[in-house]
Amino acid sequence: MKKKIVAVICAAVMAMSLAACGSTEKNEGAAAQTTTNDGAQATANDGTDAGAGKSSNIDISGVKLMSDGVLSVGCEVGYPPFENFADDGTTPIGYDIDIITAVAEKLGLQVNIINTAWDGIFAGIDVNYDVVCSAVTITSERQETMSFSTPYVNNYQAVVVLANDEKEINSFNDLDGLSIALQKETTSDELMSDYKSTGTIEVQIVANEKVTSCFTQLQNGEVDAVVVDSTVADGYINSSDAFKIAYLDQSEPEQFGIAMGKDNTALQAAINQALKELEDEGFIKETSNYWFSGATEN
Amino acid sequence: MKSQFFKKYSKQIIAVAIVLVICIILAALKPGKDELLSRTSPEMQKMIDADASSSRKRVTITYNSLFIINYASISTSGANVMSEKYVGFAGKVYQADEGAGKFVGQMVNYTYRMLGCGENLMHGAKLTILLTTLTVLFGVLLGTLLALAKISKKKLLSKLASAYIFFFRGTPLLIQLFVVYFTVPGVFGFAWRDLFNASDAEAVYKGAFTAALIAFALNSGAYCAEIVRSAIQSIDKGQFEASKALGMNYAQTMTRIIIPQSVRRMIPNVSNEFIMILKDASLVFAISLMDITTISKNIMTSEGSYLVFIPALIIYLVITAFFGFIFDKIEKKFSVYE
Amino acid sequence: MSDTYEYILKTEHVSKRFGSLEVLKDISLSVKKGEVICIIGPSGAGKSTFLRSLNQLEKITSGKIFIRDELFLHREDDHTVDRLPKEKQQELLLEMGMVFQRFNLFPHKTVLQNVCEAPIVVKKEKKDVVEARARQLLERVGLSEKEGEYPSRLSGGQQQRVAIARALAMNPEIMLFDEPTSALDPELVGDVLKVMKELAETGMTMICVTHEMGFAREVADRVLFMADGIIAEEGTPEEIFTNPKAERTRNFLNAVLES
Repeated sequence: MKKKIVAVICAAVMAMSLAACGSTEKNEGAAAQTTTNDGAQATANDGTDAGAGKSSNIDISGVKLMSDGVLSVGCEVGYPPFENFADDGTTPIGYDIDIITAVAEKLGLQVNIINTAWDGIFAGIDVNYDVVCSAVTITSERQETMSFSTPYVNNYQAVVVLANDEKEINSFNDLDGLSIALQKETTSDELMSDYKSTGTIEVQIVANEKVTSCFTQLQNGEVDAVVVDSTVADGYINSSDAFKIAYLDQSEPEQFGIAMGKDNTALQAAINQALKELEDEGFIKETSNYWFSGATEN
Repeated sequence: MKSQFFKKYSKQIIAVAIVLVICIILAALKPGKDELLSRTSPEMQKMIDADASSSRKRVTITYNSLFIINYASISTSGANVMSEKYVGFAGKVYQADEGAGKFVGQMVNYTYRMLGCGENLMHGAKLTILLTTLTVLFGVLLGTLLALAKISKKKLLSKLASAYIFFFRGTPLLIQLFVVYFTVPGVFGFAWRDLFNASDAEAVYKGAFTAALIAFALNSGAYCAEIVRSAIQSIDKGQFEASKALGMNYAQTMTRIIIPQSVRRMIPNVSNEFIMILKDASLVFAISLMDITTISKNIMTSEGSYLVFIPALIIYLVITAFFGFIFDKIEKKFSVYE
Repeated sequence: MSDTYEYILKTEHVSKRFGSLEVLKDISLSVKKGEVICIIGPSGAGKSTFLRSLNQLEKITSGKIFIRDELFLHREDDHTVDRLPKEKQQELLLEMGMVFQRFNLFPHKTVLQNVCEAPIVVKKEKKDVVEARARQLLERVGLSEKEGEYPSRLSGGQQQRVAIARALAMNPEIMLFDEPTSALDPELVGDVLKVMKELAETGMTMICVTHEMGFAREVADRVLFMADGIIAEEGTPEEIFTNPKAERTRNFLNAVLES
């Protein structure tokens, strides 16, 4: 008898919690559809109030969007400090989020952040979202298939090691004989793979889906160093004393831009104008100061 | 016995022999590496020569030899990208920059990469096969122990085995893999690669492979336990009684009478488990290892070539067919008495 | 081993319950060395259960079992009151060989391996010694030429003869037969009974649960008629078959012998 009562109670609790989940999901979905994410906006306001929120008179009449009045943004959330989830685990925050939110506000649009895997993120442009704003490096190969906004941040390749590591690393050549972690299909991956395939250095490359895995591996001692965007390295060093930047490669800088469909020139022009206004208002500088320090410039 | 085998499969054996002979001839006719690279253009050659004295080299020379055919590419990185590709087959060298040559070159290159040729043991098809076979081996051993524990009359032992099986079947393998690779060393303060010689450059892969094997074997053990248990319980009760009446103890009964008879009944299910693991092996991407699926996915995203999936499927089918054949033979061997 | 015992096997007040069902009620039986006892009776009478409780395939609920006058096991109300140490128990159990209704040969082993398995594994005897003995036994049951076959290739009667050889290979003092011919086609019964008869003639102590009345009449020293978990009547074959006292024995025999 007792068992039966317990079973009934369990079933009831289960049903209630399922119902509860169902309703929250609905709310969240609705929020994401129609309004800018609260958390992101709050953080943006924390960081700066110089330009954010000020409306503009940029003409977007010729711009085609997936849904009217909403800028859909593809983003691989999980690349701090560019984009990551806030402590609540659902709100995307970060430099990219602040920038794209401010751009959308300039254009009088609402933002819908769509979290997507890095693999195939560009295939989703004009299919699942209008633009990709996810720490995307502007490269000549990518420019063949898509359009980019003007760059909104400069980035370098950095070698991160444990804070107590005394290795001298003065160039990538000093990584010879070491094991390094990096995120798959990123500039770091391309660069280090090239160092390896050309025979410049003998290096063991450990490629991960997520950059966070790289730093866990470094902390656990599985690898000797992480090669990563300087902007990302900044974020990790800001939040943890365990790491330090051993080498910053300033010879091959790269620029991040917002990626969009090749033919979407109206949107490109509008975004570029919004970025210019934000730059002039000092918003980009202040947002950058808020999220990065040291190695990264813009 | 042997002559019977030859008689039964005579046509197949002749066919295989003919294919083998043709392959050997083609392999012998295949142009060498130097011959392929001798086609290099003067501009490219200049870059190669410049690299010799440079600490930052710019030219990537790829050479893939696949038994009867080979492929070479010479490419540079940086602002002005140059790339030349050649395929060598049956005594001739073909340009492989476009058209059919390009397709063939890509196929050779993709197959070579997915097989993990020229890489360490923990890479590509080698990784997939190694991980899968070792997992099934340890999984069946662990599963047998768990099954014996579960059907044991000792309550505590039986409960523990049930709890183990419940846990490992009730949680995703990917998370178990994360826990073994990231959480366990983090908590206990060791690194997987430290299990191997510090001077071993490949220690980082071997460490990850060890973690993967442990996670996979622990997981597979739970599934195999159910396979072994149902096989054991399908054995006629009279076999236990006869063994007991003859004075055999529990261990003797199990190892000499019951388990040997169960093996044949397990094989089909273990074979299924093998194929499941073969596919699940792609989860090792999560801990930075590259199996066939991960490599093909990488090639797809980095080169935008969907053709890569053709050789990927073929490689998987060949592996599945080969091991299916092996399991079939094992099953036949264990059912001679029926 | 002492040879100065009176009874090779003895039970006192053996009872067995499955839940509320009483299968054996207070059965006492004494067996002398060399005796051949046949147990007959309707199905469900508890014959097999009694036989199986002698070599511990079934756990009795209460009662005492003696082997060679030594108290082997004493249980009351499902609890063991007293028993021999485990090793000694095991040693005495080896004195009992058992033949099952469904043969229970090991299907994955050849005939010879079936016979040799237990002596090698349990008694740790040398393989060549055991094999020589096994071949003799197979000859005795008339299956010399089948030693390399797997059981699935044999007829039921042949399988049962292998099973007898397998039990004999352990050199038991008592052989228990649990309806050894019930699963056989009628034309195969004769060969098995012949082997059992020859075995009885060698002086082997045997307890057979059987439906072969002819065999019981011819070979048994004593016949027990069991019904509803008790020994309803016991006596020489002569007494039981020609002049049964109990009404149930008469009814049973009439029914069996008529068909």
